[in-house]
Amino acid sequence: MSTTSLSKAEKSYIAAGLTQSTPHRADGRNLTDYRSVALEAGVAPLANGSVRLSIGRNINDNGGGTEVLAATKLEVESISIGESSEGREGGRFIVNVSCSPAAYPHLTQNALDDLQHDLTTILHTTLTHPSLHPQNLTILPHKKSWLLHLDLLILSDAGNTLDALFLAARAALWDTKVPRTRSVEYKAPRGSNKANAGANTTVEGGDIDVDSTAPSGFDTRTQISRATDFELPDYWDEGEALDGRDRWPVCVTLNLAPPVHFLDATPQEESAIPLRLLLIFSFTSTSKGEATLQAMRSLGAGELSLVQIKDLIQTGEKYAHSLYTALNAKLKDEDIRRTQKARERFIAARR
Amino acid sequence: MISFSSFPATREYAEFSGPHHPYDPSDDVEMEIDEDYLDTNGSKLTYPGESLTSSQAYMRGHGTYVDNEEVIASVAGTIERVNKLVTVRAIRSRYNPEVGDLVVGRITEVQPRRWKVDANSRQDAVLMLSSVNLPGGVQRRKLESDELQMRNFFEEGDLLVAEVQAFFADGAMSLHTRSLRYGKLRNGQLVTVPPILVRRLKSHFIALPCGVDLILGLNGYIWVSKHVKEAEQEGEEGFDAEGVYSNINDNIDEITRTAISRVTNIVRILASHFIPLTDTLLIEAYDWTVDQEGGAKDLLSEDLSDALVTSLAFRV
Repeated sequence: MSTTSLSKAEKSYIAAGLTQSTPHRADGRNLTDYRSVALEAGVAPLANGSVRLSIGRNINDNGGGTEVLAATKLEVESISIGESSEGREGGRFIVNVSCSPAAYPHLTQNALDDLQHDLTTILHTTLTHPSLHPQNLTILPHKKSWLLHLDLLILSDAGNTLDALFLAARAALWDTKVPRTRSVEYKAPRGSNKANAGANTTVEGGDIDVDSTAPSGFDTRTQISRATDFELPDYWDEGEALDGRDRWPVCVTLNLAPPVHFLDATPQEESAIPLRLLLIFSFTSTSKGEATLQAMRSLGAGELSLVQIKDLIQTGEKYAHSLYTALNAKLKDEDIRRTQKARERFIAARR
Repeated sequence: MISFSSFPATREYAEFSGPHHPYDPSDDVEMEIDEDYLDTNGSKLTYPGESLTSSQAYMRGHGTYVDNEEVIASVAGTIERVNKLVTVRAIRSRYNPEVGDLVVGRITEVQPRRWKVDANSRQDAVLMLSSVNLPGGVQRRKLESDELQMRNFFEEGDLLVAEVQAFFADGAMSLHTRSLRYGKLRNGQLVTVPPILVRRLKSHFIALPCGVDLILGLNGYIWVSKHVKEAEQEGEEGFDAEGVYSNINDNIDEITRTAISRVTNIVRILASHFIPLTDTLLIEAYDWTVDQEGGAKDLLSEDLSDALVTSLAFRV
């Protein structure tokens, strides 16, 4: 993904700075420092959950930085076995990443499609893993379920897109509300069969004297005695939170410059190093959460030995945990901010 | 390690903030459109759609259009007038080259007898093989053997400092590096600012007392690097054949690296506050940040960068 072109001198300047006795980065950050991350939830009113996130935004003029928009949308899907419909028991979950051409002005449409496909694959395979599947996507067992779409859009790229995508995905899924539904059942009245049969006989004509109460043997139509559907009990209610909101994973990209590794690389740094290791962890909701490594991927041309990977996973887990706690705190803040805003609006509207 | 912040609050729709004011035409003060207004010469900013003057008395130039017999600005910028020609120079635009400008560029393509250079302009600039200095310092015609080893001089991605020599018929600029000060760049890093923030100075090669050299390209590309002593610069005698087109950095110590980072961050801050860069301003800013006893990364925080800008506003 390193699309920025750098001269050999610039690359070696960055690499030499990292491998010094006291490592040094171009903007003076420490190796494990992130740039400032800004997050706002509930940016798309028509989505079930949405978030806007930017890493490395310039605090003064709000320019630059990696910016990602993530939104979830729930769609009703009917499950019918043996038919072409794709619905599945328990609901489905589809993740899609798209890149704005404005974020990659120098890429051709084909290269952009490739990039989108690569990113989509990483996110889709990780997030739709059965161990993370939310439990409340069923509307009517064996009949209807929710299809959860998570769409992510990269608005601009200033490095570290994968961390940004996963943070945004987690935040958007956390923000997702599943509408409450109530199943409604229709039962054919007891006498309806009889009435129907009676109607049949009159249509057929009176030449055969048939007992009007007996159902016709020629009537092969199956009478649907029960029909089930659902309704929304409260249209204005946003619903309950999507299940498993604590489980959604976070991703740390370890940028490896052989003796050291660093986090949150700028595009220049990304193109100056040979190898990146992607570690994706999910944590259990308990305070001292246990980490599960959900996915791992190495990007780039460099090599890694198993011993190194083991070490990196251990350190990566620590980074991921601090990222996880920081993000959770921010998401809770956002919740409070939004409820406050809603209240203010309500009060203002009543006035 | 990581901290989350919020996006700055966007202005809410005014729906709940009270009654709307109905549009009252008498609020509009009739704008004085006369020569005085046009003579303000850069002290006033236009907004797109602003009516500047009558099209009967003046001619429309760049950044303007005519509607209803009025010259109207099509961009936000400063008004410039030459006799009866009114133009608006946009604030945010790509670099408009002029002959003699010093630019920093990056090679994008190697073509027969020429390099294509990205110089933040509308089109890629061209650097002809005939307008570079050859290693060895000899002045001679470029041979076929030179054409074959063009990548030994500059290859894709390389940064260079050059001067605008001329323009082609299509408006693309032609560069030259026929001076010992021009050529390939190494030992540092690049910062990009809006081109309008780099003013024309007596010299665009600035040596800061902290051991950092700056090259302010008029195209908004700024090269921050380790200081090279005058004596060590590749001179005419003993012209270092390898040195000019070398890709290998010198050994840079930690103090210099920190200073380079600090200067880079200062440039970024000044650019984000839209302050034009000058050598004195940069020296002032550097001294101020050293007094604050923070690392280079502390400059990335909002408080310190705001404090820096306010302190500079008082001094200058």
